[in-house]
Amino acid sequence: MLLFRSEEHVARWCAQRGLARGATLTPAQGWELARAWYADKLSPDWRRKTPAEAEAVFRSIGLEGAFWSLRP
Amino acid sequence: MSADGSTAGAVDRRVRLFVFGRAAEIGTVPTLDEIASALGEPSDAVTASLQHLAAGRVIVLAPGTTDIWMANPFSAVPTDFRIEARGRSYFGNCVWDGLGVLALLDADGVLRTHCPDCGEPLELAVRGRRLVEATGEIHFAVPAARWWEDIGFT
Repeated sequence: MLLFRSEEHVARWCAQRGLARGATLTPAQGWELARAWYADKLSPDWRRKTPAEAEAVFRSIGLEGAFWSLRP
Repeated sequence: MSADGSTAGAVDRRVRLFVFGRAAEIGTVPTLDEIASALGEPSDAVTASLQHLAAGRVIVLAPGTTDIWMANPFSAVPTDFRIEARGRSYFGNCVWDGLGVLALLDADGVLRTHCPDCGEPLELAVRGRRLVEATGEIHFAVPAARWWEDIGFT
């Protein structure tokens, strides 16, 4: 997960490497994702999120669709 | 005693809490010897715990070793995701983890990286739990279901 100057830079970087363009988030979405994922990491009771919990986090910040699915 | 009632589970929990707590405290992910010394556990018990935690995707070991590579969001090695917070420097594994360090610390700070395309320095800054400098686009190259196929690339 990398930070680019803009969509144009994402597209050029992917094209130069023969990579399909993935998904893009705004920095604000990235911050919400980071908070939802890591804010409790120091808690003694922390545990990994289940796939359903992780997908719920993605949905909560507008990340939906096949790219964000954790189901096989 | 851990939730699963096993001694190994109890050690795993202590190792986990120490690794993440220490990384948050000093900005450096502890080594096996440091963990063993701090917890008063034999090295082989800590090695086993690190392997358990890696198998559970709580940490990532450097390939073929018992050295912690990633204790997400922290990176044990320098990366292009440097975080300045609490008067210290930290390294994250990616931009998500870089912001994750600030979320975990619950601290104001700055994430510094570079655009992979043009090399221009980029910053994301957090103040008062809000993102206050927010330019650029975050790109995920790998679909979520495949993140762990090659976590280093992801």
